[in-house]
Amino acid sequence: MNAVELAALTVLAPLVVAVFLIVAAPVRRNGVLAPGLSVLGSLVSLVGAGALLLRQIFGLDPDLTVERQWLVAGGETVARVGITVDGTSAAMLAVVTFVAAMVQIFSLGYLSDEPEEDRGRYFTWQSLFLFSMLGLVVSPNLLQLFACWELVGLCSYLLIGYWWRKPSAAKAAVKAFWVTKFADMGLLIGLVLLYYHTGAFEWGPGAVEQLAAAGSDPEKTPWVLPSVAVAGLMFFAVMGKSAQFPLHVWLPDAMEGPTPVSALLHAATMVAAGVYLIVRAWPLFEAAPVVLNTMAIVGGLTALLAACMAIIQTDIKRVLAYSTASQLGYMIAALGAGSVLGGFFHLTTHAFFKALLFLSAGSVIHAVHTNELSEMGGLWKPMKLTALAFGVGAAALAGLPLMSGFTSKDLVLEGLYKAASAPQPVLWFPFLACLFTVGLTSFYMSRVFLRAFFGKSSRRAYRAHEGGWSMRVPMMLLAVPAVAAGWPVATFAQTTGLFEPHIGLLHFTPVGGIALGFSVVGFAVALMVHASGGSGGMVSALSPLGDLIRLSLVDRAYDLAYRQALNIAAGVGWFDRYMVDGVVNAIGALTLLLGRWSRHLQTGRVGDYVYAVVGGLVLLAAWSQMISWVVL
Amino acid sequence: MIAGDLRVFLTVSAVMFCIGVYGILSRRNAIGVLLCLELMANAVNLNLVAFARFSTGTMGQVFTLFAIALTVAEVVVGMALVILLQRTHRDIRLDVAEEMRG
Repeated sequence: MNAVELAALTVLAPLVVAVFLIVAAPVRRNGVLAPGLSVLGSLVSLVGAGALLLRQIFGLDPDLTVERQWLVAGGETVARVGITVDGTSAAMLAVVTFVAAMVQIFSLGYLSDEPEEDRGRYFTWQSLFLFSMLGLVVSPNLLQLFACWELVGLCSYLLIGYWWRKPSAAKAAVKAFWVTKFADMGLLIGLVLLYYHTGAFEWGPGAVEQLAAAGSDPEKTPWVLPSVAVAGLMFFAVMGKSAQFPLHVWLPDAMEGPTPVSALLHAATMVAAGVYLIVRAWPLFEAAPVVLNTMAIVGGLTALLAACMAIIQTDIKRVLAYSTASQLGYMIAALGAGSVLGGFFHLTTHAFFKALLFLSAGSVIHAVHTNELSEMGGLWKPMKLTALAFGVGAAALAGLPLMSGFTSKDLVLEGLYKAASAPQPVLWFPFLACLFTVGLTSFYMSRVFLRAFFGKSSRRAYRAHEGGWSMRVPMMLLAVPAVAAGWPVATFAQTTGLFEPHIGLLHFTPVGGIALGFSVVGFAVALMVHASGGSGGMVSALSPLGDLIRLSLVDRAYDLAYRQALNIAAGVGWFDRYMVDGVVNAIGALTLLLGRWSRHLQTGRVGDYVYAVVGGLVLLAAWSQMISWVVL
Repeated sequence: MIAGDLRVFLTVSAVMFCIGVYGILSRRNAIGVLLCLELMANAVNLNLVAFARFSTGTMGQVFTLFAIALTVAEVVVGMALVILLQRTHRDIRLDVAEEMRG
């Protein structure tokens, strides 16, 4: 099999499963067959993606793109679909398929109490979700990427709303859908703009040159440079998808879905799509420095704010959700500072340890049937494996040395530091924000870890026990890359072609040292707080901050804006009803009035008509006579 | 001389037409109205024949034959209407039939 066939197999296996499950309803309703098929599909994908990645690492395959015509208009090919195989897509494919396969296997155990029909639905969407993301990863152009991007959004909507009978879940699903759709309009407009200027949906250097040429055309002086407009609009879509402030509001609410869905959504698929878009279409973004700086600042702000929010959450999943937003902020900030390697590498390592964290949180929730941290506690004894897995994930997230998160976070911070001292003074803010957030991250993760697994045992902890093999095995398997994914950073850089100097096996810089210091301080504070009797002291110490955030200002702002939008809509509606419709109705009423008046002319008596005819005749004769007098 | 003859025909025709018009306007009986209508139609036919006679060709006379045939058909329809009027209203005076009033 050559590389393209292998990639096609990887991408299409989940699609085949999804379509089959959608069509074959009896199979879908079968509680064994449907999950089995879905897991099989993802495993096939995993094997294919693994083989692709290995061949890329050893340089067996050249980078290649195979495209087919898709939309033809007027004899001209408007759009193509195809598969791109290179280091970047192969690495991403491997990450996505691995996490997805682990999540699906975990779901077997996690959802074992669900009705069979619901489970079939769940696994159908899971397969479709996996296909959408893989299709996005191998996209050779922006149009195919956009199509898959929307599919990813749809699938996450369906999966977040898995328990759709619960009003909060339905609401969260709709919210996620609307927020991301709102942002996706940016991508759509950006695409149209790109096509308008370049006549294609490509992101290569050629497109950049054409955009630059369009911007320097003296004939038409554009309001915004086309390159900035395209990159900015695309970044807007990324902000929605990758949950950047202030479009992050859907992410915490998305916790209403089943925990494995959160793991998939937050690690490898939904939110990763945004960052991956920037990595893929990097030439377009690179050509717009303004957008890059905005990206860095938005990323830094998101990292800091989301970490602050994570501190005061009492729901274990919401802590993780905010930490996802925070880590995505790191990636976006790194990309904004020009460190593609940092952003992309953090994306991959984050995928592993965040999936691990969510799965172990899911294991805890499955055991104690609550999300509330205050009702956990003392789970170390009954659930040692889960505690270890969560600990590994938390350590990686906090960036302890030798963990995957350490290396990638170090790359991010180093990239930011270098760009800021380049000098781009505007980048000092994201750098400092990200550096400080390291401490916050360490603090809130330690807090959750200590709160859930140590301290006084809660009543629920006595009845808690580990899940079945299908829940234990994925956690163990995910723990391996959560620790080790940071080690082969040089190989990663080489395979993806994102070289950056000074990358050794043990990547360690002064910036990393400072970050480690922050991390240790955060852990120490968390330990002190825990020792002083739970979070009571901590919460009171942070209460002003907590009050501020508990007001959920962003949500309120949206609420207000939404109300304003409703007011505007009401105004427009009034105009439509009474002005536009009014004109039409007035014409109708006038016609009716005229008719009602003129109908009296019709007497129905034959004689009257005859009089009218004769009168007309006389008038006609008189008129013709007059004409002849005038003319002659 | 020829023009003078034509003028006689046209005068007779105009008189016939005017009698027809007057009859239609003044009559209430449907049959009377129909008769007056025929008078008007024949005035026109007379015109046609007269013009044909005082010009070359027989085309006008042929048309007159057609017109007479058509008038007969029209009378048949008119008589049918009168009969229907009699059946529905028990009266053939035209002013009783005013259901088509707007």
